[in-house]
Amino acid sequence: MTTSNPTRPSRAFVPYPFTATRHAARLPGLVGDEETGVHRVLIVGAGPVGLATALGLANHGVASVVLEADDSVCTGSRAICISRRSLEIIDQLGALPAFLNTGLPWLGGRSFYRNDEVLRFQMPHDTAQRLPPMINIQQYYIEQFLLDACKTRRGLIDIRWQSRVSAIQPDAAGASIQVLTPSGEYRCRTQWLIGCDGARSIVRDAAGLKLEGTSYEGRYVIADIALKSERPVERLAWFDPPSNPGSTILMHRQPDDIWRIDYQLRDDEDPEEAVRPDNVIPRIESHLQMMGEREDWSPIWISLYKANALTLNRYRQGRCLLAGDAAHLVPIFGVRGANSGFEDAHNLAWKLALVVSGQAGDALLDTYSEERVKAARENLSAGIKSTEFMSPPNFAFQWMRTAALSLAVKHQWIRSLINPRQTQASAYAGPPQPVLRRAATEFQDGPAPGAALIDLPLMIWDGRNSRAGHLTQLLHPGFTLLYFTHAELPLSLTAPLADWSKRHVPVRIVPLFVKVRSSNAGPSGTDISGNLWRAYDAQVGSAYLIRPDGHVLARWHRATNDDIKHAMEWILHHE
Amino acid sequence: MNEQELDEVYGDFCRTLSAVSEAQATPFLARFALLAFHEINDVRRIRALIQEAGPERA
Repeated sequence: MTTSNPTRPSRAFVPYPFTATRHAARLPGLVGDEETGVHRVLIVGAGPVGLATALGLANHGVASVVLEADDSVCTGSRAICISRRSLEIIDQLGALPAFLNTGLPWLGGRSFYRNDEVLRFQMPHDTAQRLPPMINIQQYYIEQFLLDACKTRRGLIDIRWQSRVSAIQPDAAGASIQVLTPSGEYRCRTQWLIGCDGARSIVRDAAGLKLEGTSYEGRYVIADIALKSERPVERLAWFDPPSNPGSTILMHRQPDDIWRIDYQLRDDEDPEEAVRPDNVIPRIESHLQMMGEREDWSPIWISLYKANALTLNRYRQGRCLLAGDAAHLVPIFGVRGANSGFEDAHNLAWKLALVVSGQAGDALLDTYSEERVKAARENLSAGIKSTEFMSPPNFAFQWMRTAALSLAVKHQWIRSLINPRQTQASAYAGPPQPVLRRAATEFQDGPAPGAALIDLPLMIWDGRNSRAGHLTQLLHPGFTLLYFTHAELPLSLTAPLADWSKRHVPVRIVPLFVKVRSSNAGPSGTDISGNLWRAYDAQVGSAYLIRPDGHVLARWHRATNDDIKHAMEWILHHE
Repeated sequence: MNEQELDEVYGDFCRTLSAVSEAQATPFLARFALLAFHEINDVRRIRALIQEAGPERA
């Protein structure tokens, strides 16, 4: 085992192998110091959540302005793990290929206690899945790829760099915003304001909302290093390793031969001292030696992390909405930060689009708050459990963890406690029973109202053309009715629904055939294997009504036109 | 006991032990062991568990 060697020259830092484009500040058309006109939606923050929200709104034809204080995408060690659910969302936003081309997919990981492997875990995955359960990708790529997608929505997304919000005055009709740029200062008006401006959100403060919950004392050093290694992509954790006795170390491989190394500080360590390179480098050196890594390596970035488990009680205050880290701070263990932010953006975009266009009452936005606050509480509860294990808050958690780890070498049954409990898609509460007009037990299987769709392979038809695909690829930005049938769609359903859609909100009906396809002009699917029908407990005439964010709104065997209208009116005019 | 139940009971135990305080933790654990004897109610199994829990080899 090596420790620090005072005669050894210190390692030089190298930059990330990524050059961020610098964007100039730009002033809009002004009269005096006032921007003319009123924006429908103004987003503060061009991080992953702000950009995902702007792209989601653009999918529904709603234009937005995005104000970003910085002049480029982010730098430094931030989010790196993007979940399958986030990738599904990113697909709907039109940015998936770039994420899959650059990101490193992984399926599971291993944990060690001293010299012994005590856990080998796999995230749910099988060959029927279109997307990996997780990819590792640097946040600057995440932001850049979303930005590239924004450029294809010309006229709908106006990103203003180096535009710092200095004051916000919310009122009943929206908000007035004071914007500082290097080219000058101006005031603008918006009908709706979305705070995607991170942990120190100014929108949150202006809305008068406060984060509540727990902050943990345990501190982690987070470092990114450049290292060439042929190791597979997986989550690696060491508890009390010989390289750093008493510490906990996590490692993740990132694209471009970058590795993320997190390690826990002892309670008696001074954090300021601990992040100094001459303290960090020997610890990493020692660990890489223990792993048998012989290649030369260089530090890129070192920062300090302290776990927080905080959320607002509501994410809407009048015409201000909060999303991502501005709304909640979840511990890093279990990777729920950026991933829950993508789910926020995806939940919010379609609802705000319908409200802005007058197709839904503004109470629909209260469901954004209710659903995502509940999801945040679930994320926090799972994140807190992971944090209590990864960073024991006191002697009791510390003793029990040591006991669990030492028993886990021999006892399989205890290993689930070590499992990092990675993020999963949120499930929302479905409509109340009277809205569904059916017993909850009508279906034996398949995603219940509120749950996200289960993606499964099928043949996708568009007119005469067909291709192998997956169910979620049949979704479009509006509502979708998945209708299981052997034949043509019944006219008794399609005609009144088309009429209702014309007057209210479009609902696209997509027939799902089993084994063989009956003729149909529009998009449809054929479930060659019958697995999809089974997984959805479908019969001829079963229907799943899908929200624009891919969550099930309602489902019925033998759906009628009235069932569907009833559920649609409930969601659009929520009281 | 499934994984989620183990998770919950583990958390409950840790929180109770925290509340008991470090000074009182040893008597708490000793009492817990005795109560477990009674529930297990099998001398051979208890003896095997005592062996199993015995000092960790460093």
